[in-house]
This record gives sequence, C-alpha cells and structure tokens, in this order.
Amino acid sequence: MTNKQMTSSETEQTDDQQPNPTPGTDSLADRGTDIGVETSSRDDPATVTDRTIIESRDLDVYYGDDQALNGISMEIPEQQVTALIGPSGCGKSTFLRSINRMNDLIDIARVDGELFFREKNVYDDDVDPVALRRRIGMVFQSPNPFPKSIYDNVAYGLRVQGQDDNLDEKVHTALERAALLDEVEDQLDSSGLDLSGGQQQRLCIARAIAPDPEVILMDEPASALDPVATSKIEDLIEDLAEEYTVIIVTHNMQQAARISDKTAVFLTGGNLVEFDDTTKIFENPESDRVEDYITGKFG
Amino acid sequence: MARQSYQEKLETLREDILYMSEIVMERLRMGLDALEQKDNDLAREVIEGDSEVNQQYLDLEQQCIELLALQQPVASDLRFIAASFKIITDLERIGDLAVNLGEYTLDARHDLFPDVDVQEMGEMTLDMIEDAMLAYDSEDIDGCRELAERDDDLDHFAERASEIVVRDLIERELDSPDEVERLLQDVSRLLLTIRDLERVGDHAVNIAARTLYMVENDDELIY
Repeated sequence: MTNKQMTSSETEQTDDQQPNPTPGTDSLADRGTDIGVETSSRDDPATVTDRTIIESRDLDVYYGDDQALNGISMEIPEQQVTALIGPSGCGKSTFLRSINRMNDLIDIARVDGELFFREKNVYDDDVDPVALRRRIGMVFQSPNPFPKSIYDNVAYGLRVQGQDDNLDEKVHTALERAALLDEVEDQLDSSGLDLSGGQQQRLCIARAIAPDPEVILMDEPASALDPVATSKIEDLIEDLAEEYTVIIVTHNMQQAARISDKTAVFLTGGNLVEFDDTTKIFENPESDRVEDYITGKFG
Repeated sequence: MARQSYQEKLETLREDILYMSEIVMERLRMGLDALEQKDNDLAREVIEGDSEVNQQYLDLEQQCIELLALQQPVASDLRFIAASFKIITDLERIGDLAVNLGEYTLDARHDLFPDVDVQEMGEMTLDMIEDAMLAYDSEDIDGCRELAERDDDLDHFAERASEIVVRDLIERELDSPDEVERLLQDVSRLLLTIRDLERVGDHAVNIAARTLYMVENDDELIY
C-alpha cells in the first residue's frame, strides 16, 4: 500500500489541471530515467486482446479531507475503449487523472492503494510521473493547442523527448492517425489556433499520440464540440483503439454506448458500482442503481 | 423521478398495446362466433374491422420508433420497447387470422365434421393470448414459461383434429363428383381453421417469449 503526499516540485511542472505548457520549457518532457515498466511488444494492431494494461487495487483518492474515490478496483483491457461514466462529482475524472498521476499536480490530493500500469505500481517511489505521462498521454475537454504552427504542435513532444529523427514522417503519421492530415496538409505552417474547435481537438490528439504512447486518457474530449466534430472524434477514438488503449470520461452516455467496449459506472461517493462490457451495461446492468442512472430515473 | 414525460410515454405505450390486444381478442372471438353460428354479417364485420387493427399497429410502431429515436432508451426501457415492437406484430397477425375465420365463414356451406371442436380450440387460444398479455402487463415470468407448455397442448389438439378429418376422408365412400367437390372445400376450410388457430397459439407464445426477454433479458423462449 502506497501513501503518497504530492510534492510541490511535481506541481510546478504545469500550472493547472489542464496543462498548456509554454513551448520550449520542456515542462512535460522527461530527460531522466524511464519509469521501470516493460514496454509492450505491441501485437498486430488489429488484434483485440483481453490483456490487462491498467489495474487499480483498492484505490482511494482524497482531496484534503474529502474522499473522491473509494476503494476502486478494476482491470482495464489493452487496446480497447473503456468509458467511465457517472454523475458529476462521482470521481470518474479523478480516477482518470490518477492513472497517469495528474492528481500529483493538485497539492491537496492524496492517493492510497495501488494502480498498476503493466504490472508496475505507478505510485512506487521509483516511478517518474513525467516519464509515465509520456507512455500514458492525455487529451482534455477544451482543445488546448500551443500558439505555434500545426507542425510544431505535433512535433513538440517528439522534440523535447529527443525523438526528432524522421520528424516530418512522424508528424505526418500522427496527423494521419488523428484523421486531420487531409484537412491541414497544405497549411502545416499556419497556427494551430486558426483551426476550428473540432480540428484543434484532433490536433491535440495528434500531439498526444505523436510520441507513440500506449494509453490515451480522454477527459470529455468532445463535450465542447458540435455534433459533426463530435462524430469525427468518436470515429477517431474507435480507430485509435486498434493501436492504443483508450480510456474516456464522458457525460454523454450515448457516446459511451457508441464507442466503448467496456463501461465503468461510478456513482456518488466515488464508488465504482459496475464495470462490464458496454453491451451488458446498456442492455441489462446488474445493479439497480446503474439501471436507474442510465435510464434517467436517478436523481 | 427524472425524465417524467419519457416515463409517461413508456406507460402510454404499454396501455395502448394492452388496448390493441383487447381489440384483437374481440375480433378473434367474433370470428369464432361467426364460424359457429354461420353469421355472415358478423364475419364481414371482422373482415372490415381489420383495417382498424392495422392502423393501431402502424401507430404503435411509430410510437416505438419515436421513443428509440428521441429518447435513446437503454437497459430495461430498451428491452421493454424492443419487446413491445415485436409483440405488436404478433397482435397484428392474430388480427389477420381472425379475418381468415371470417372468410371461412362466408365460404362455409356444411358442417361435416362435428367431432372437431373448433370452438374449444378457439377458447384455448383466447385464454393463451389473454394470459400472455397479462404476463406482459405484470412482468410475470412464470406465466411466460407456463404459456410455452400450454402451447404443446394446443399443438396436440390441432394434430388430433387434423387426424380426425383425414381419417374420415379415407373411410368415407363418395358417390358423385358433386359430393367430392363439396367435401374438398369443406375439408380445406376446416384444416385451414385448425392451422390458423394453432398459429394464434404460436403468436401467444411469441408474446410470452418477448416478455421473458423484456423482464429478464432471457431469450430461452425466442426461436
């Protein structure tokens, strides 16, 4: 059991929960040791595995005296889309942020229990959270591209990690995987901020996947977008799951139903009430409370 | 309770389907009476009344589609709507079979097979529909499973009835071509009546099967 009080040195890396690091500061970059986790020998991208990539065991998170997560134990499968749903304040975003230790950035946050990434507890003392975040990328609710060119936005993470060989090719690949390349191919030098909201979010996804992480965490990635941009993001998420593990927090239950393989339902008090195949959750959930929540009888 | 108007629409759907089932049972009862009493007026009433049942079916189908499209139902609500969507098809088909009874009445001339109790068979099917709809309304899973067993009794009844008719045909000595012609029509009509009532029982079982799925997510009776 690990009990880790977050240190202020870690919080200095970004200034809030949705980091928008100033270019050139290398704030999210890691030049030091790796996190001591074996890198997966990734299978044929099209293969769906049932291997667990992330496992939490009795995970509690506190913000000061308030308990935000209460004994969460779950195994998240590799190369699938796992959706976390539940009412506001249920702890789903807290759980998402605890996976790549983004809660470290909140001074008053305290974590009990264990969270394994490829069987390594990410809260062990020898784990570098910055290196961890390179393997577990994140996309936020509001698109937050850097005030730089489209090209430099995507290349940013690669450069700070010293992965700048074949940079053009890597940037193109990331834009292509993020389903944005066709739309921006002729304007790679123009500012990322000139793109539409939906394009900006796909740019952020391209930026997140450029360093080739293994897991992508998404916190309400489409909630600020119109329906057309939303459906593009949803298509993209399904495609991404062929190569990456995607874990998404969404308030939109139908979105969870449409795009996820597994759904975890968090209810009040930071409790995980049910975690199962998405079809099972939306056709015949075990828990009456989950039934009431997803059918709208709750609250 | 949240989503109040949605919950009200689900309740309206349930009530409207129960109402449709009452109309359909009434039509089947009228068809059986017409057949027994050789009442051509009643038979025509059943035949002409089918358009009303068809319209009810279309209206209910639209209600189901709108709920699916606008409310994105899930879990038990989804299963309720999916089951209801199938059940209205069974009810509409039972209505069609009642129309058949009306048409057989208009075609009927003689009653050559008094040993075949069409009315008793009809009563069995009416009871089955009524109990299937009761199970649907009260989400009674035991009632659903029991109905599947009763359908076996109905099938045996239909089999025995058909045997009586065929045996009689084989043993009967016919004198004139006229008599052959008359018998042919009566026999076909009677065999079709038996078959149609047997199908009404199948539709009642379908209703029970969808109800079991609706309540327990159990597809054991769906075939």
